[in-house]
Formats: sequence, structure tokens, C-alpha cells
Amino acid sequence: MVQFTLPKKSKVKKGQKFDAAKGAENKKTFKVYRYDPDQGENPTMDEYDINLDECGPMVLDAIIHIKDNVDSTLTFRRSCREGICGSCAMNIDGRNTLACLKPINEVKGDVKITPLPHMPVVKDLVPDLTHAYAQYESIEPWMKTDTATPSRERLQSPEDAQKLNGDDGKGPAACILCFCCSTSCPSYWWNPDKFMGPAVLLNAWRWLTDSRDEAKGERLDQLEDPFKLYRCHTIMNCTNACPKDLNPAKSISEIKKMIVERHS
Amino acid sequence: MPNKLIQSPLGKARGLGSAHHGAMHNLAHDITTLVNIPLVAWVIYSIVSLRSASYSEVIAWMSHPVSIVAAILFVMVALKHFALELQVVFEDYISCKCLRMIKVVGMKLFFIALGVTTIISILKIAFTSGI
Repeated sequence: MVQFTLPKKSKVKKGQKFDAAKGAENKKTFKVYRYDPDQGENPTMDEYDINLDECGPMVLDAIIHIKDNVDSTLTFRRSCREGICGSCAMNIDGRNTLACLKPINEVKGDVKITPLPHMPVVKDLVPDLTHAYAQYESIEPWMKTDTATPSRERLQSPEDAQKLNGDDGKGPAACILCFCCSTSCPSYWWNPDKFMGPAVLLNAWRWLTDSRDEAKGERLDQLEDPFKLYRCHTIMNCTNACPKDLNPAKSISEIKKMIVERHS
Repeated sequence: MPNKLIQSPLGKARGLGSAHHGAMHNLAHDITTLVNIPLVAWVIYSIVSLRSASYSEVIAWMSHPVSIVAAILFVMVALKHFALELQVVFEDYISCKCLRMIKVVGMKLFFIALGVTTIISILKIAFTSGI
């Protein structure tokens, strides 16, 4: 049966407190999940008091400030710091989002930061995304064609391109694979081994709706499965969580419609 | 020492591949949801309108052809919908494949038995009540 409680070794305990904002008027407390599997200890929530006048406006700025000035052992992923790479996806104030796009002043009270839910933790705020990436690879996210390679580019009408990019730039091609959606999905929590999850299915739809791709039937064959696709119960957490305002739930529903269309 | 399967992440993600079904389950679920709306409304309306009726009036109502057809349709569609939903719940929350299969098959047999019994009861009341 599904396990609804945390295993004994995963229960989060109270951690250390670092006051790096002595005398500062504009300060904020960041409660950060800390875990090192090599230590064999339970995870802890360490508290860092930060002078907000000394760091940038986003949560990522605060975490970088902590690493640079307070506690160099804090581990997290980050790269572009502008919402393009998806590296700094984490749970902030109870919601999966990108730390680089989350303003600190949007959080009332202490800022609680934990890694993306459900994933195994490599260290601190770094989740192990190996399985999620393998699932992404399993949908073969590249253009598949049997037609001989043309001498120039494969043509696509602006209307067909818009299906990928969306009217407002928020089509399926805008997914940055941060996995905020998949890790917010209860169906993915219960059946991560088989259910593809919203991020991978959104990308599957991106290739299914690409007018240049010639492997729609093959792709649908791979997806038509009670677990790979139909674990989605339209809970909509994915759409709610997406920091890029994309709509994975709609993409999944479009895949289901396409499969029904094939049967009818 | 436990026998740990060493498998590449891609091999693990692909698993045994697609079962090539699931669409019909999903479609049947959606169709039974829609069909249940008028049928459930009819059942509620019937119960409310018969709340002060006598035994013979209820039997007479049950013997009416429209009531017989609607009652049988309601039993079939509601039980089918319930069975489809329960299957999803079992698949969601029971990770042991063997236990899951036993529960799904057992549940389906139970609903078939319940449906047949209920339909025979409706027909028996409708045709043998002597009113």
C-alpha cells in the first residue's frame, strides 16, 4: 500500500540557527532543509537570519548570500538566475517554484525552503532527477521522420508553429523541465515508477502536435497505458505549480483526446 | 543479501512498455459520468415523489415500463461507473501487483453479482407483484 507517513530516518528535526543579521532592521529568517545522506542522520531545518539589504530581491539571491557569507556547506542547484534553465526548482513557502523567480517579499513571515517533494534527495536542496530525465528520454523527445532529409529546413506554417509556442509564448515548447509540475502531482507521488508525470507528458504533447513529426502513431502507442498516461486524474496541481505559467493538464487532456480520435 | 536489480535509468523508465489500453476505460468513465446525471436526477425525483406513497402505489410505479427501463439502466450505469472508479483507486494506491490484480478481479466479480441480483429483483417486482 501507499505509505502516507515519513520513514523514521526521513523525519525532519530542528537544526542549527545562524544569525547573520545582527542589528539589521530589514531582516528575514530562512528555514532551509538540510540533509546529507553520507552522515546517516535525519534531515534538519536550519534557520538563517539574513539582512535583506545585503542581498538581491529573489529567494535565490538569499540562498546564494547564505552560501557565500554564512554557511558554505549549503548545497543547491542554480545556473541562469532568470527562469530559463530550471535548475533552482525547489519548494518555497509550500509551493514548487523557481527560486530565481520568487521574490522574497511575496513570502509572509519566515521563508521555508525544502527540495522538490517526493524525489530522493542527493543533498540539501538537490533532488535526484535521474528517473525523471530517463522518463523524458523514454518518450524520444526529438523529431522522428521517415521522409528523406530535405535540402533545406523542414517547413512549418506560422499557425503550426504557434501550436508549439502558444499565442502568448506559453505553449508546450516553452517547458524548461524544472519538474515543479511532476513533483506537485499526487499521482506522480504514488506511482513515479510508471506514471510519466505532467512534465514528460507535456513534452510528449509537444512532439505529438509538431506538424513536422511523422511518428504520431508510434508515440501514441507508447503512451496508451493505464499507468503511463491514465494515472492523470486532472487534479491540476501541475498547472497551478508551473512557474512558467504553462498548462500541462491541458496537454495531457489533448493527448487523451488524440487517442480517442484514433480509436473512433 | 537482497537481490538488487541492476538496470539503467532508461531501462527502468521504459519498464515492460505500454499496455496499449486504458483509453476505453477513461472514455467509459466519462460516458457513465454523463449518463448518470439524468439517471441520478430521475432516482432522486422518484424517491421524493414516492415518499408518502403506499406499498401498492410503489409496486405499481415499479411495474411501469419506463420505471423498469430507467431503474435497470441506473443500476447498470451506476455500478459500472463505481467499478471503474474503484479500479482507479486500487491502481493508484496498491503497489503490490498481485494484491492489486486480486482486488480488481474480485471487485469486478462482486459488482457483476450485485448488478445481476439487483436487475433480477427489479424484474421480479415488476412482473410478479400481481398488481
